[in-house]
Amino acid sequence: MTSGRLADLLPPIAFGLAVLALWEAGVRLFHVPAIILPPPSAIAMRLATSVPTLAADFNQTIRGVLAGYAIGSLAGFVIAVLIDRSEFLQRGLMPIGNLVSALPIVGIAPIMVMWFGFDWQSKAAVVVVMTFFPMLVNAVAGLSSAGAMERDLMKTYGADYWQTLLALRLPVAMPFIFNALKINTTLAMIGAIVAEFFGTPIVGMGFRISTEVGRLQIDMVWATIVVAAVTGSLFYALVAGVERRVTFWHPSYRAKEA
Amino acid sequence: MKSILFAIAGVAAMLAAGVAHAADKVTLQLKWVTDAQFAGYYVAKDKGFYKAENLDVTIKPGGPDIAPEQVLVGGGADVAVDWMPAALAAREKGALLVNIAQPFKRSGLELTCRRDTGIRTPQDLKGHTLGVWFAGNEYPFLNWMAKLGFKTDGSPGGVKVIKQNFNVDPLIQKQADCISTMTYNEYWQVIDAGYKPSQLVVFNYTDEGVSTLEDGLYVMQDKLKDPAFVDKMARFVRASMKGWDYARAHPAEAVKIVLDNDSTGAQTLHHQTQMMAEINKLTAGSDGRLDLAAYRQTVKALLSTGGSNPVISKEPVGAYTTVVTDKAFGKK
Repeated sequence: MTSGRLADLLPPIAFGLAVLALWEAGVRLFHVPAIILPPPSAIAMRLATSVPTLAADFNQTIRGVLAGYAIGSLAGFVIAVLIDRSEFLQRGLMPIGNLVSALPIVGIAPIMVMWFGFDWQSKAAVVVVMTFFPMLVNAVAGLSSAGAMERDLMKTYGADYWQTLLALRLPVAMPFIFNALKINTTLAMIGAIVAEFFGTPIVGMGFRISTEVGRLQIDMVWATIVVAAVTGSLFYALVAGVERRVTFWHPSYRAKEA
Repeated sequence: MKSILFAIAGVAAMLAAGVAHAADKVTLQLKWVTDAQFAGYYVAKDKGFYKAENLDVTIKPGGPDIAPEQVLVGGGADVAVDWMPAALAAREKGALLVNIAQPFKRSGLELTCRRDTGIRTPQDLKGHTLGVWFAGNEYPFLNWMAKLGFKTDGSPGGVKVIKQNFNVDPLIQKQADCISTMTYNEYWQVIDAGYKPSQLVVFNYTDEGVSTLEDGLYVMQDKLKDPAFVDKMARFVRASMKGWDYARAHPAEAVKIVLDNDSTGAQTLHHQTQMMAEINKLTAGSDGRLDLAAYRQTVKALLSTGGSNPVISKEPVGAYTTVVTDKAFGKK
């Protein structure tokens, strides 16, 4: 790790530790009851002693997250490519996609549970509904972002539709597509966890949060929140890392190196 | 001139009314939505029993995943309707709830199974998928499973549990072989969905010997230090029990009062009439006082749940008080 990277990491770490210290001090000083807000020390202890439970919950929820993320993003991408040739289809499908993405999770989730059962499949279905439209919109925008000069160049090379798509338009669309992929990591986490409030076998991060709140074990709720936050951040960082490799040519990365 | 006189008379009347209405305010948090399960309180309000005791009562309906203990702890209500297992578990966590009255003498919790699953006795439940309510309602079930010796984590030789929402869909959609129902509510939803009683096998928690006390009235312990509060609660309990007596004597009128108070419009006359009839069976014979034998039975049942997550781990101290019912009805 270069000293530059270390210098970048120091402020957030220091700030984070300061927030934790203030939290701990505040809870103790003002005698805040643990069922309202537990101190970070209690949460850490609960994290340490509940690893099997939290691991099982993670295992259950992540299946819904990843399956839904993959299917939703892929479907959005495939549909975008398919309607790329038809202006008519684009104008027709976009408003419908918009409508589908605006459906509230708390409405879709119980319906998906009725259709797909209590297990992770219904959570994946909810995530698919949430991640489809962002990918569709961004992929369509990305596919139309190739410059006129570059497209003319492909024409002079005698490239057909598919060659132009693979050599020019898809690479140019990558920044947009990765934009959608990054947004979808967050949506997938939210969708899977909230969907679990509405019907689940008795394991899963959403289940854990809703039942431990009912049992007034708020430190366990916070422990699950920590796991969810770390998972979400790692997921996002992973996608951002892949984006770096794939879109290395983009000015935003080149500017940083300079 | 006449209009000025009228105006002065009007203001004077309002001032007089304001002075007379120094009624004590009480906020009651219900355990569930407005329905006949809480008819006694709505009857007491609409028939003026609370007003006669100089009380101005606000009734807050509950709902899915609203835990009455949390509302009490958060200061959102003076008194809440809750089930004893949830209240005792909350007490152990540091939320010091105290039972001041017990309008429901009997338990209405049951496990309803489809006959076509082959389940006939509790032992047959092994290996089946059971729908269970959470948010504090899972304790009687966990207690029963511990008594039968069935693990609930899905391991072989035990039962598979799914978190049932507050509806009967898992049974209808065949996602669960059995679901949790109340004698007065969800059981009738299953019947209304087209099942005949002959197609169902019902295990009543009372018959299985694993019932725990249900709808009781709970307040926060520190509030009981104030004698004015104890007096207010005594009047509240007295008027509420009068409401329950009235509901048993005049069920049709009680149903009408409940429907009038249902701001969501979700309840129907048919469903509420059935519910009122069943609820009256649960409150019959109760004078509002907590039956100490029933209390001890509930505590014993919860202590023996065992496992890695017992409902309560030690004998509760100070979980109930008789000061309110003694003040309301005189010492027994």
